[in-house]
Amino acid sequence: MLEALLPEALLPEVIRQNLPFLLAGLAMTVRLAAIGIVGGTLLGLLVGVIRYARVPVLSPLAALYVEIVRGTPLLVVLFICYFAIPALLGYRTSAVNAAALGFVLFIAAYLAEDVRSGLRSVPPGLARAGLATGLSTVQVFRLIVLPQALRRIIPPVFSQYVRLFKFTSVASVIGVRELTGSALLVNAREFQPVVILATVALTYLVLCSTLSLVGRLLYARLSVRT
Amino acid sequence: MSETPLIVLDRVCKQYGTTPVLRDCSLTVARGEIVVVCGPSGSGKSTLIKCINGLEPYQSGSVRFDGEEVGARTTDLPRLRSRIGMVFQSFELYPHMTALRNVMLAQVHALKRPRAEARARSLDLLARVGLADRAEAYPADLSGGQQQRVAIARALALDPIAMLFDEPTSALDPEMINEVLDVMTGLARDGMTMVVVTHEMGFARKVANRVVFMDEGRIVEDRPSEAFFGAPVTERARVFLSKIIAH
Ligand SMILES: Nc1ncnc2c1ncn2[C@@H]1O[C@H](COP(=O)(O)OP(=O)(O)O)[C@@H](O)[C@H]1O
Ligand SMILES: [Mg+2]
Repeated sequence: MLEALLPEALLPEVIRQNLPFLLAGLAMTVRLAAIGIVGGTLLGLLVGVIRYARVPVLSPLAALYVEIVRGTPLLVVLFICYFAIPALLGYRTSAVNAAALGFVLFIAAYLAEDVRSGLRSVPPGLARAGLATGLSTVQVFRLIVLPQALRRIIPPVFSQYVRLFKFTSVASVIGVRELTGSALLVNAREFQPVVILATVALTYLVLCSTLSLVGRLLYARLSVRT
Repeated sequence: MSETPLIVLDRVCKQYGTTPVLRDCSLTVARGEIVVVCGPSGSGKSTLIKCINGLEPYQSGSVRFDGEEVGARTTDLPRLRSRIGMVFQSFELYPHMTALRNVMLAQVHALKRPRAEARARSLDLLARVGLADRAEAYPADLSGGQQQRVAIARALALDPIAMLFDEPTSALDPEMINEVLDVMTGLARDGMTMVVVTHEMGFARKVANRVVFMDEGRIVEDRPSEAFFGAPVTERARVFLSKIIAH
């Protein structure tokens, strides 16, 4: 499917010859990023809202999770998900699943902070006005605070998405054949590092730029009126 | 029942940490009465009126609205608040909604009015505050005076039996003050019970039945408005009035 999008004739020889293999790697990169973005966003929203709402017990736990993850290198998080957690809980996992879990846990901690500060940035007077009209706390949150916060957090959230997209390359270290891992394998056989790595870098650049363009368009659309 | 005063504050005390903000404040507002609250900045006026709809908790004393104890655990605050309209100094319109949706929101979600009915009622109210043609405008595209009139319509949309105003004209450019005061005067004429924190002494003289003067968390004067403007009893109120009027 991806092949159809590429003007194959324009590609360097070594890329063209290894195209199916590299495209499979790219598909894995996109898949990992998509899982990380969707899962991380859901978890990040949950954790961010819990931190914002100052729920007893849950909020301190959420804060602890955020602190631990943000103080741990991504590679270590992936190792923990690949080796430590399965050993601890007694299950088997694949490198791909471990990487997906690691990306979700990792990016959610950063997204949670963006969600929390976005929620806190909504002027408290708006919530007070909502309460004064007889809306419940939950209605005020859902109808007034959250929509205001969401438009404010789109830019930082999309920059986390872009970070995550590039971070998927770290999964190659635990043996996942995503774009970078596949490219390294091709290079081991062909030894054309300049062409191969330039192609890989350009691919990341194009996809990341597209992702941040989507973020900017969404932001522009939502903030016409704020 | 309708003989009882609508709002009764009895020796209400509140402090932030160790700083007292309200000290033994007692105030009674009868149905249909217009009470203006004035006093220097930081004297506790906003805190006092927010106690009436339970937006501010207090440590001791009692606040009753229509016979119901506001601070009681069993009080259904959302229901109680939907019977009291409140208007804020800085309007507090929801910026992501049009004027119409601002006015509709609580009708639909708090009163559970059918949308069509809420919409019709909102358009009526926007017309009443002179904004029939601005229903689809967003707050950012309205002037301060227009925003405050939308906020008044939003409060009226719940068919409240009392209205609280916290310095509704203080954030407005001078040329917009009257359009808001006119709407408020109209409400007063229609018999609405109102507690108004304001320094608009012209409005107080013309519309208020009583003037309450606060200083350092205390209600130091509470008298019919002619008497208050005729000759304030306390030195503090005299000084305050002369400053307000001079300026
Ligand atoms: N959240 C708060 N924390 C601590 N002090 C507060 C808070 N809100 C108000 N105050 C203090 O309470 C006093 C009364 O405030 P307020 O009711 O807003 O006065 P006014 O409306 O008359 O200007 C002021 O001294 C103010 O500094
Ligand atoms: Mg005030």
